[in-house]
Amino acid sequence: MAVSPGSVIVPDWHKSPEGKEYLATILRKNKRKFFGLIERPVLPPQMAADTASYKVFVSGKSGVGKTAMVAKLAGLEVPGAHHETTGIQTTTVYWPAKLRDSGRALIFRFHFWDCGEAALKKFDHILPACKEKADGILFLFSFTDRSSFDDLPSQISRVTGGSENLVKIVIGSKFDQFMHTDVTERDLAEFRRAWRLPVLRMKSVNGPRLADGRTLDGRAGLAHVAHVLNGLAEHLWYQDQVMAGLVPAPQPGTEDTSRC
Amino acid sequence: MGEEGGGSVTLLCLTASSGVPLFCRSMGAPSKHQLPFSVIGSLNGVHMFGANLDVLLTAACTANSHVVWRVFHNSITLIVLSSEEGASDFALGRLLDNAFSAMVLILGLEELVNVRNIERLKKDLRVSGGIGECLEAFAGAAESRFGCLVAGGRLALATEPWWQLAPQELLLLSWLVGSLPPHAARDYPIYLPHGSPTVPHRLLTCQLLPGLEACLICGPRPALHTVETELVPRFWKPLLEPLQACVNPQPHSLPPGTTLPPGVLAFLLIHREQRSSQSSVQPPGSGGEGLSPKHRARALRHFYALVAARYFPWEGSPAPPQEPFQAGFPHRARHCYVVSATHKAYAIHAPQHQLFLLLAPHVPTFALRPLAARALQRLTGDAAC
Repeated sequence: MAVSPGSVIVPDWHKSPEGKEYLATILRKNKRKFFGLIERPVLPPQMAADTASYKVFVSGKSGVGKTAMVAKLAGLEVPGAHHETTGIQTTTVYWPAKLRDSGRALIFRFHFWDCGEAALKKFDHILPACKEKADGILFLFSFTDRSSFDDLPSQISRVTGGSENLVKIVIGSKFDQFMHTDVTERDLAEFRRAWRLPVLRMKSVNGPRLADGRTLDGRAGLAHVAHVLNGLAEHLWYQDQVMAGLVPAPQPGTEDTSRC
Repeated sequence: MGEEGGGSVTLLCLTASSGVPLFCRSMGAPSKHQLPFSVIGSLNGVHMFGANLDVLLTAACTANSHVVWRVFHNSITLIVLSSEEGASDFALGRLLDNAFSAMVLILGLEELVNVRNIERLKKDLRVSGGIGECLEAFAGAAESRFGCLVAGGRLALATEPWWQLAPQELLLLSWLVGSLPPHAARDYPIYLPHGSPTVPHRLLTCQLLPGLEACLICGPRPALHTVETELVPRFWKPLLEPLQACVNPQPHSLPPGTTLPPGVLAFLLIHREQRSSQSSVQPPGSGGEGLSPKHRARALRHFYALVAARYFPWEGSPAPPQEPFQAGFPHRARHCYVVSATHKAYAIHAPQHQLFLLLAPHVPTFALRPLAARALQRLTGDAAC
């Protein structure tokens, strides 16, 4: 992986005055704004920005927290108990970010495809549907489930199946329970060295709520996941640039510098 | 007026009081064929003529076409002419319901019940025809016959085959879509308990706007990706504004100005032929009297369960276990009531409707029957029932 964190996207831009203005287009009174398929964030004319859309398939063993992660990224209620997802469900997440080189603001539109493990095994059409025209795959493991980590290599080869141009990112979920972690820093470092894939960490728990005690605080929720959204944006955008021949492809053997 | 060959369907919409044509739409070949004004006038005229003599003209057949009339809320008349083979009163009646629902979906009932500016209404109605047609076109492009729009967890509009699903399936599908956590789109394998209990189909849902989902039941094709990225933008994006206008939830689906007799705390009205229902535990005028909305809902549910199970036969359900007392009579119960300390309840089984009312305990028991009849009349806008 030739993308080191912060080399493509300005990392803390969402905290800057300019970034906050863009962030306001996906918030309403500190709540996350939700957009239907035929809607999009409305930007004032002076803030015009292009939208970069990416389809991202979320893969991982049953119960590692795929649905919870997507809910957390989307600003939705993280389900309290585990339910197997019945089929495919997709979720759209908008995220404004600033490109480091050009100084240009972009609206990233991540389209997450999440499906239940059982459905995937039972119905043949589900895996091809999730992979069709995907730009990236997130491989999830859970910090509290060693077997989900050990399963990563076989999962990566099973799901990827030779698709070279996909962005592959590993995400460790349930990092909030790091006291009970089954996966050590050393395991992660070894994995990174062997696979040269970026590894991100997620705490898939509900963030603080607004004064009414019920509604999730959208701004705080976004602050929690900004590093994941920026990480995704960075790798997907970079991959696009490589595909378009605008930047040289990463050389095999490039030293991995990604940290998170 | 029936066309030879492929068969066509023509839908006419007029104001009920003055007979002013609001729109006319044709489907099937030849679509450019406009119905002459004199024919529109005669079709409406014959229905009005009957109405003036207290005769309700509902349907007529000629050698090659089938006509069905219906008046909605004493305000809008819809007439459908079909030369398609196998057009039944039921199917055409459903089409009229759908057409009217599409109009309500866009304009709200108030606009349609109290027509103030006919020219304005004509303009607005162009859009609603758009949504119904759009749903058909969207489903067609997805190679599916089964399409619907679910607004706020309720079925708002559906293609004809969707309505033909078993009543239970209809209900379960709307509940399923309404109960799932929000997602931009879904591809759910489902088994239809009556239509296809062993072979799975795909239920595709696309959230057009928060609270508004377009649903399809499909076979192996098309891919969700295609529906989401190609069909949804192509068919629904042009309707963004009218759709945004119609997702505002309504507390109860009654025309404004509808009042129920005093003492009515809650009601459930079932349209038997349409297989649809309306209900409210806070109907207009019921105020904060007596039971809380939650308790009203529970009491009404209990009453419904009791009556539906024991006294009123209901199509598609197993025959009710009759009490020995009742089995001794050759007739079936048409009215039914219950008196308790906290409320009274009354049910009517009419040819077109079933009405379940929850009433305040102070309403005299002898007044329940006329009061319920009046409530049914006001809710259905029909003097005949």
